[in-house]
Amino acid sequence: MSKSYLRFWGVRGSYTAPFQTHLSVGGNTSCVEIRVDDHILLCDAGTGLIPFGNEMMQQKQVRNLLIMLTHYHWDHICGLPFFLPAFIPDWHISIFGPGQSSKDIEEYVSAQMRAPYFPVGTETWLAKIKYLSPPQNHNFNHGPIAVSYQNVHHPGTTYGYRINVHDKTILYISDNECLYLEKSINQQYAEMSIEERELYDNLKTEEYESELNLFRGADILIHDAQYTPQDYQAKRGWGHSCYIDTVNLAIDAEVGELYLYHHDPNYDDQQLEIIHQHCEQIIRERHSTLICHLAREGAIIDLG
Amino acid sequence: MADKSIPIIVVVDDSRSMRAFFERGTAQLNVELMVFESAVKSWTYLEANKPDLLFLNIKMPGKDGLIFLKELRELPLHKETTVIMISSKDYAQDRTVASQLGAVEFVTKPMPIKAITDIILKYIKTDSGN
Repeated sequence: MSKSYLRFWGVRGSYTAPFQTHLSVGGNTSCVEIRVDDHILLCDAGTGLIPFGNEMMQQKQVRNLLIMLTHYHWDHICGLPFFLPAFIPDWHISIFGPGQSSKDIEEYVSAQMRAPYFPVGTETWLAKIKYLSPPQNHNFNHGPIAVSYQNVHHPGTTYGYRINVHDKTILYISDNECLYLEKSINQQYAEMSIEERELYDNLKTEEYESELNLFRGADILIHDAQYTPQDYQAKRGWGHSCYIDTVNLAIDAEVGELYLYHHDPNYDDQQLEIIHQHCEQIIRERHSTLICHLAREGAIIDLG
Repeated sequence: MADKSIPIIVVVDDSRSMRAFFERGTAQLNVELMVFESAVKSWTYLEANKPDLLFLNIKMPGKDGLIFLKELRELPLHKETTVIMISSKDYAQDRTVASQLGAVEFVTKPMPIKAITDIILKYIKTDSGN
């Protein structure tokens, strides 16, 4: 019998939130497991990777997995130094992420484990580690799981992943600042000439269409929804979305289910519930069929 | 055959609107403008030719401008090519990486048309501008 599911191991952005007031939603940083039978794909390697690794140590069936990193900011890689399977000889671990070559990926992953920042380096990993070369067409497969990736709006080169499992399309876009250019154009519109306004109106339309295309076809969208509108005002340009933009774009792109993700560590369970309720209100007011969830640590989605 | 005395400006940007933007920005200049919609599509040309000025967008489908610039710099032909990043991503990290890869300017969208004209005049000599 096929066993296919998605499990959230870490749902926070920026840094861990191990506070009593935050643990209903969860305190670990970005890590999502997608499993089809014995094929395991990890999206990001934040601290959520650590309990995942500990669970893997309790079983003998699987010895092979792929870790796909969206980028190399700490909250997405800091689980790797504590990932127990990497220190066990019979494990095979493939790692992929942004970079010109497999050597780049190795360099970026290894850097955080160099002295004086960590006592042991990746050379102490006993598992067979393979850093994947970037494919020419931005597509690859991991067993029955098909993956493609695109650049998204976040500092440095950052990927959003489109993952096909059976007949479902999952989008994993942990860090992405929606509508950034549109807002920049609106801010400067008054100073523009008529000719520039015409050009930038076209660019806005083009950009919005491109953002919708990123989301289109998603049965499940796991997306950055880090800030309230108030906090976004202060943190615009930090590379994260206001949840209102995320939910509106998901509605416009006719996404099936949205998981609000990469929660700000300053928001406790109660604040996140308020954000979720507001998203539900927006969905009702727009008469959309979008189903919206708060991504919660430990939550499992059956993939059929 | 291209007139070798006319400076060549290459733009790599996926946006159709930005193509129009560069056409307006160079309309009064005696330059040849070549626009490619992706890093991959510009590769055949850039592998064999060094433009006088290269404008690179960062966030594009396929290879992004930062990874592409790293790749270009590995070609002896482009070690010294004058590169200007044009991006909607106004992030310090992108500026730092671009600067480490030898980009001489980092221009954020939206910029006035005149900003493009001024940058071209700053880095190349044209009959119309000098």
